[in-house]
Amino acid sequence: MKNNSASQSFSVSQRIYACLLRAYPRRHRAEYGAAMAQLFRDQCRDAWNESRGWGLAKLWLRVLPDLVNTSIMERLAALNERKSMSDKLAGLSSFQTPPAKVFFKVFVTVFLIVLIVNVAITFLLPESYASTCRIKVENDAVGGFNGNTITDAMKLSDPYFIQTTFEIMQSQLVLSNVIASLDLNTRWGKKYNNGGPLQTEETMKLLRQRLQLAPVRNTKLVSITVYSDDKNEAAQIANAIAESYRDYRVHLRAELAFTDLKVLQEQYRSEEKQIGQIQGALDSLRQQFKITDDGSHNQSPQDKPYWDEKNRLTSMQEAHQLLAAKIEAEKINMQVPQSVLVQVADRAEPGHAPVKPNKPLNIVLGAFEGILAASVLGAIAALIVFQIRKRNQRQNATA
Amino acid sequence: MANPKIEPESLLPLTPAVFHVLLALAGGERHGYAIMQEVAEHTDGRIKMGPGTLYGTVKRLLAARLIEESAERPDSALDDERRRYYRLSAVGEQVVKAEARRYADMVAIARGKKLIGKAAMLALPESC
Repeated sequence: MKNNSASQSFSVSQRIYACLLRAYPRRHRAEYGAAMAQLFRDQCRDAWNESRGWGLAKLWLRVLPDLVNTSIMERLAALNERKSMSDKLAGLSSFQTPPAKVFFKVFVTVFLIVLIVNVAITFLLPESYASTCRIKVENDAVGGFNGNTITDAMKLSDPYFIQTTFEIMQSQLVLSNVIASLDLNTRWGKKYNNGGPLQTEETMKLLRQRLQLAPVRNTKLVSITVYSDDKNEAAQIANAIAESYRDYRVHLRAELAFTDLKVLQEQYRSEEKQIGQIQGALDSLRQQFKITDDGSHNQSPQDKPYWDEKNRLTSMQEAHQLLAAKIEAEKINMQVPQSVLVQVADRAEPGHAPVKPNKPLNIVLGAFEGILAASVLGAIAALIVFQIRKRNQRQNATA
Repeated sequence: MANPKIEPESLLPLTPAVFHVLLALAGGERHGYAIMQEVAEHTDGRIKMGPGTLYGTVKRLLAARLIEESAERPDSALDDERRRYYRLSAVGEQVVKAEARRYADMVAIARGKKLIGKAAMLALPESC
């Protein structure tokens, strides 16, 4: 299949190049045309082996300016090879074609060359499919409020949240899992490294080049688009990136919640110890001031240290109860699945048609370029013929 | 018809394309594709001559008698016998040597002005 595609690309390229060789003077073509065609064939083979369709497209982009430059030079050189100025003028004076006809001929020739080359390049370029997965992302404040109004508000209005999300999605944290789960080192090694596996860094670089992230305006949605010459692979990678990012967020959230819980439990134990100490001190003061628990004892200025300590204990016990409630809430929070942080809104599906190259657009642009180039070159050619005819007429009149 | 005597220095400086082709042929007979490959190799792939440039240069070098077409054809089992082989003429050899000397002189001047180090000098071909 690949060999057929290669031989077809070679054959089309060689036929186009053989046609374009007509831009050279007949004598140059007769002498070197076959050798040039053979050299181009060799270059096509090298370009295909190097990077397949892209290689051929790059070769054409290199060969075309070379062909235009050198064909003009050879044409000028052929003109200068005429024996003398009188010969040149004699040759030119036999040129009876009207400028309008010259314009038309040049216009048609240039237009066709530009259009054919454009169409050839368009069909030689490798096809690329795009698949997009859309996910809804929430920042960490969701399900993770800590009761502090200021920090919660800051979390909700984080201006760098989307940018940070994009950077994380393109980072090793997310992409290394995608590479491992889809075995991209081996799969892409077969495609781009002559069969040998790629290093993870190389694969990651290629993956980043094929990845496009964009926010969906006025929503919390992010679109993950992946380009590939294989439509199924594009969809697989886009979905894998979404899943890897979701796993990363869930894991991160769980880690943060666990750390928070440990801190709260530590604080709880410390408060408990403090309450025990205050309770002990209060008991000593009660015995010292002979205060009973039945409420019959009236407060007096001498008992003030006791009552101060009792108030302190009460407020600390209240705070301690609140902390206990918070710990329970945090425990419940940890048990709730955090998948709400990242939700896949639309899974990526294999594309029906390639997105690159845009063949209709390229052909239309090629036609416009052809019209522009053909008009300019046609006008120049017609002007030159007009000037020559005018000069010949003057010389004939003088003679 | 006797060939007029050509002073190598009168043809200098050579264009980069001409110099590269002559340098490639300094290693022996080559066909067009081999010349192109050797030029690409010498320049780390920076210069990849198109067919138009290569055969335009070959044509001018043949006209200036700096190179000549080899009448011998390789064994058809080893290579495509339709390929045309070229080699340096005696004048061509003098010209490429003169150009290489000119480059060496310029490199020496640049070195004297501390624009380049010793590595650049060592990297010059032996013919310099």
